[in-house]
Amino acid sequence: MSKAEKIEPAPQASASAEFPTPYLGRTVRIIGEFLNVDMNQSPHPKNQRGELGKPLFNWYHNTVSKDPLTRVSAPNHFADRRHFLSTVVNQAAKGKINPKKVPVNDPAAMARHIKAVAHYMGADVVQIAKAHPNYLYASGGGRYVQDGTAKDEYSSHTPEQLARKFPYIIMATTAWDYNKLQAHRHLIGDAAYHVSQIKGNMILKALEGYIKELGYTALRGVAVPQAVGIASGVGELGRNGLVINKKFGARVHMPDPIMTDLPLLADEPVDIGVEDFCKICRKCANTCPTNSIPFGDKVVHNGVEKYKINWLTCYKLRPYVHDHWGSCLTCATVCPYTKPNAWWHNLTTSALHTCPFFARPALVHLLKWIDDKFWGVVRNGRVQWLGYDSGVKPGEHACTVASCNASHEKAGASAVTGNVGYYAPLKENTNRFVKRDA
Amino acid sequence: MAFKLPWSGKESHRDDPYWDFFINTAPADLTNTVTELIRKAPAGNIFPTKAELHTPEITASHVKGMAQYFGAELIGIAKLPKFSLTESLSPLPLAGEGEGEGARKNSEAEDLPFAIICAVHADYDPRIAKGIGGQMPAQNGLFITFVLSSWIRELGFRATVVRDTNAEALAAQAGLGTLNGQGRLITRKLGAGVYIADPVYTDLPLAADG
Repeated sequence: MSKAEKIEPAPQASASAEFPTPYLGRTVRIIGEFLNVDMNQSPHPKNQRGELGKPLFNWYHNTVSKDPLTRVSAPNHFADRRHFLSTVVNQAAKGKINPKKVPVNDPAAMARHIKAVAHYMGADVVQIAKAHPNYLYASGGGRYVQDGTAKDEYSSHTPEQLARKFPYIIMATTAWDYNKLQAHRHLIGDAAYHVSQIKGNMILKALEGYIKELGYTALRGVAVPQAVGIASGVGELGRNGLVINKKFGARVHMPDPIMTDLPLLADEPVDIGVEDFCKICRKCANTCPTNSIPFGDKVVHNGVEKYKINWLTCYKLRPYVHDHWGSCLTCATVCPYTKPNAWWHNLTTSALHTCPFFARPALVHLLKWIDDKFWGVVRNGRVQWLGYDSGVKPGEHACTVASCNASHEKAGASAVTGNVGYYAPLKENTNRFVKRDA
Repeated sequence: MAFKLPWSGKESHRDDPYWDFFINTAPADLTNTVTELIRKAPAGNIFPTKAELHTPEITASHVKGMAQYFGAELIGIAKLPKFSLTESLSPLPLAGEGEGEGARKNSEAEDLPFAIICAVHADYDPRIAKGIGGQMPAQNGLFITFVLSSWIRELGFRATVVRDTNAEALAAQAGLGTLNGQGRLITRKLGAGVYIADPVYTDLPLAADG
């Protein structure tokens, strides 16, 4: 994209000369007064304090999943916390910074090295953002941490002080398995989401340790993952509120990134046509079981122009479907960008990227028509994986494993035929208690 | 940056001035490594209700499928000879040493009839390459065996990860490959560039390979 085509951010009164309003690509613009995100006002901390009601509080704290794999891989629904690897990794003591600092003469070479290291460790996407106070949590509001603690000697620093001292933020993330994700609102989809999440946590912990071994600081829990994801060029922000990546679409995690003083070369926000696609597509808004995704235009929230999802209605459904799944994932699954990492997918996103702006709406209409035709308007295909089968109706039991002659106490309630999967709850059921966005 | 053809295979890292540090320099503080964290993590409890299982053959294929999903590239199941089991375990408790970690694991692993062996590719031998990068096969192996053994315990069965010096022989017994003159495993898929993760000993009803 040429400089002339870039949408320049509007001037902001509070933006200092040292930290001018950052350019975040075409999908997100800071156009008003911006207050740093207070981590304590995000959904999970609010729920931990019981501010979202008893059903959500009890779902988060007092439920044990009936699925063995979920008890191992998902946060908070385990029978024994020691089986959850993220707890082991995050609660461990922090290592010391190596006093023998490795000199960095070429930040570009070090940036390439850190990306190669993260990929070697198993990360699917690695990008680097130039630190900016707007990407950091508000001072005094606490750090983001899933288990354990993210406290360090810089906890009292303001976002500006942190951005000065630690000028780079590394986002290394993992993608969810495409085939399993097709069983969204199902335990199979949960497996795709949660296993890649714990693997991602382990990779980030290992990368954090490696940066310390190089002799530099690595801070955790300080930066807002989505802001860093967009600023570093992991992807663009979609209508569904997810960062959409060129290779993996919406099926990438946005984990807690690493802020560091290691000399690096930062990446830039990208344009892969999400701005043009989301204006027209609306597949996620149509299929969201809770109507939490807007059909309308972008809004300005906290000085940021973007599509704003209703996180509360998205969150509120979970206690009622706990027996069937843990993470909905429907908006990520139906997103036309979420495809297998194949040549034809890369060709399509490249075509969108290179297409002139005036011609993009026509191209998007064509691509959406192809997507509806070949992948369907809603995704309800049957997925079988190991002993799991999304063709078994929610609440029923059946062993559908070929050639299994073991006697099952609960099996045989339904004869499963065809290629239709059942994903609870059905949209018509949720329409009764969640009103569609105006 | 060196010119690289897209079909020229895996990254050589020859133009990376820091790669050797990543692979070969042992960490100054072991707390900075994930391998130590996972190795030292205590095992959790066995879920009180046993999950309904399929036949041993199908359960074995599901265990392999699960291990593969966690990242294992080769998976085999070996039947353990009951009385030779503890002889191969390491570290063994010495006489008068009391109930150490080795002793605890030995007692936990007794009477477990199967060993699940998972292997991953190893570009560098973790026994020689002591850097965080050189230890990456061990880290990947620990991830797989930690999650796999936790999952089996959540199914309601016993499962324990055992540091077994005889892992390569068990892998050969499970049909993952053959042992060469030095007792190292050679596999059809990965050749000698393979790392055998610590075996998971379990009483989950399985069908053994080999």
